[in-house]
Amino acid sequence: MKVLVCIKRVPDTGGGFKLTSDNMRVDTTNVGFAISPHEECAVEEAIRIIEKHGGSSTVLTLGPQAAQEQLREAIAKGITSAILLEAEDYEFWDPAATAHAIAETVKPLGFDILLFGNESADTCNYQVGLRVAHLLDLPCVTGIKALEIQDGKALAKRETKDGWEVYEVALPAVFTVKEGINTPRHPSLRGIMSAKKVPIEQKKVTKPAPQLVRKALKKPQEGRHLEILGQGVDAVPKIIEKLREVGAI
Amino acid sequence: MTNFVGVDHFNIDELLTEEQKLIRNTVRRFVDEEVMPIIKDAFEAGRFPKELIPKIAALGLLGATLKEYGGAGIDSISYGLAMQELERGDTAIRSFCSVQNGLVIYPIYTFGSKEQKDYWLPKLMRGEAVGCFGLTEPEHGSDPGAMDTVAERDGDSFVLNGVKSWITNATLADVAVVWAKLDGVVRGFLVEKGTPGFTAVKIEHKMSARASDTGELYLNNCRIPKENMLPGAEGLRAPLMCLNQGRYAIAWGAIGAAMACYTEVVEYAKQRIQFDKPIASFQLVQEKLADMLTEITKAQLLCLRLGQLRDAGTIKPAQISLAKRNNVAMALQIARMARDLLGANGITLDYQTIRHMLNLESVYTLEGTHHIQTLILGQDITGISAFK
Ligand SMILES: Cc1cc2nc3c(=O)[nH]c(=O)nc-3n(C[C@H](O)[C@H](O)[C@H](O)COP(=O)(O)OP(=O)(O)OC[C@H]3O[C@@H](n4cnc5c(N)ncnc54)[C@H](O)[C@@H]3O)c2cc1C
Repeated sequence: MKVLVCIKRVPDTGGGFKLTSDNMRVDTTNVGFAISPHEECAVEEAIRIIEKHGGSSTVLTLGPQAAQEQLREAIAKGITSAILLEAEDYEFWDPAATAHAIAETVKPLGFDILLFGNESADTCNYQVGLRVAHLLDLPCVTGIKALEIQDGKALAKRETKDGWEVYEVALPAVFTVKEGINTPRHPSLRGIMSAKKVPIEQKKVTKPAPQLVRKALKKPQEGRHLEILGQGVDAVPKIIEKLREVGAI
Repeated sequence: MTNFVGVDHFNIDELLTEEQKLIRNTVRRFVDEEVMPIIKDAFEAGRFPKELIPKIAALGLLGATLKEYGGAGIDSISYGLAMQELERGDTAIRSFCSVQNGLVIYPIYTFGSKEQKDYWLPKLMRGEAVGCFGLTEPEHGSDPGAMDTVAERDGDSFVLNGVKSWITNATLADVAVVWAKLDGVVRGFLVEKGTPGFTAVKIEHKMSARASDTGELYLNNCRIPKENMLPGAEGLRAPLMCLNQGRYAIAWGAIGAAMACYTEVVEYAKQRIQFDKPIASFQLVQEKLADMLTEITKAQLLCLRLGQLRDAGTIKPAQISLAKRNNVAMALQIARMARDLLGANGITLDYQTIRHMLNLESVYTLEGTHHIQTLILGQDITGISAFK
């Protein structure tokens, strides 16, 4: 079994964030970076598949040299090898361009399972996995929360409001993974130390003319809203109504 | 709760290697996910969260600096950063690890026989066994050389008598490294849980380090095989070498506690409105925040250099004392200032500050009080000992 997992380096803002003065980027001064959360689960899923079925796993990112940090984290957790598609301007790549570069790289490598995050934590385009599947002419299930591999086939489950949609797909196939599919492990310190020694395959990629161009970013208002819904039991119907309104129930 | 992002006003991260950052971030996340949700209740209940031991071991935090016996062989700065993050969670978690590492694994590794090492190190590093370090006695704290605990040779055994007090991990421990005088010379002995004549009793009603397991060790004609003496440890120098390991960890840990208080109070001050303005807009408050950030930054740089010296093998005990002394005092000061700015809210465990403030009172005292670190420095400066 050969598993690929694609990840993105995103700012780890811990809640609040600032924009740069030209409003084009998130200000990352004094901000750490992390693997986008859905993709962290995809990494975990890749490791579990290999632990169970044997084979090898590869982590890939399109990003700057500094993204080696995220690749090594994945290796420290148990991924076998890593590919860096080096693009210092990765923040300005649109999903079509990213998918193109990934598809081109992985096409000859013969992966059975290609995992992506459902969407990245920064731009949330929901596109790269789906586009890669299209370019490689592979089946794709998006937003999955369970994955089982049996006899060259995969059972992928997607959660809906009332239950589960279950897909049976022949491999190779592409899946985009949602947080909640598993609980990602922490890398061990031993894993971190040995990840240092794993060479990272690097390839420079150049941005094609983008279809989507970023004009500016705007930070949503951080408004806090306070509303008193009543007192005691009398407030209950209104609370329920509010919870429905915000989609909590 | 949102993830902790740390404090880095001087871009110190740029001075860290990729592994150092990844180790720090891994421990940071572990603390966010595993420690923060339970620590308030554990502190209030006076309970050490034992359930974390296998997880701490799985991360590789036990024996992390050793290259042998399955250790990750991490460098001193990585180790320090890990201790910083653990203490950002709680002193109890940092203490558990730094006692196991610096006061149990270290002396067995440094002074132990091959058999002792082969038997204990893998278990201690996998978290299958917990250790404690018995130096302090009810009557002898700052002056451990005056200890009353004695060992006597009797055939193929040693017989130990005495009481050790304020011992971290005491009731959890499967093995105690007990320091006792044999013919007037301090020696180290490994005493296993369950040995007749050996009991560990929890110290109750602590108002500090409540989530830490602190207890007393009673050795009452406790007979251990002669093989249980640490062959390489002779004289008070041996336990003092262990304390230097512990003090190193504390110097870093204090930064974590200070960061926890500082970040909590900055957020609070920006949101708490009094006199129609956030309290963060008052000069008196800003001055306190500026002082806190300055002291944290100084402490970070101090520790970074201390870590380099430790890895270079040129570190001096007086340098570790300077860092322990400075950093714990600054953390305690920051915790008290932050507690003040949190107002009445600051006295509840719903905010972390008071927990750290209370914990730091212990840290100020343990592994050599603030005064004792001062005297070590004084002696280093003048060549004159002022201990007696
Ligand atoms: C939570 C906790 C955990 C601990 N864990 C351990 C452990 O795992 N193992 C262990 O062996 N011990 C442990 N200790 C004990 C700790 O190391 C001692 O408390 C410490 O060394 C101080 O000793 P003491 O409490 O007896 O105070 P004392 O030595 O009685 O000191 C009382 C005061 O007198 C001052 N003083 C003493 N001598 C001098 C001097 N010459 N000049 C100026 N001032 C002086 C001190 O600075 C202090 O202010 C722990 C303590 C605590 C609180």
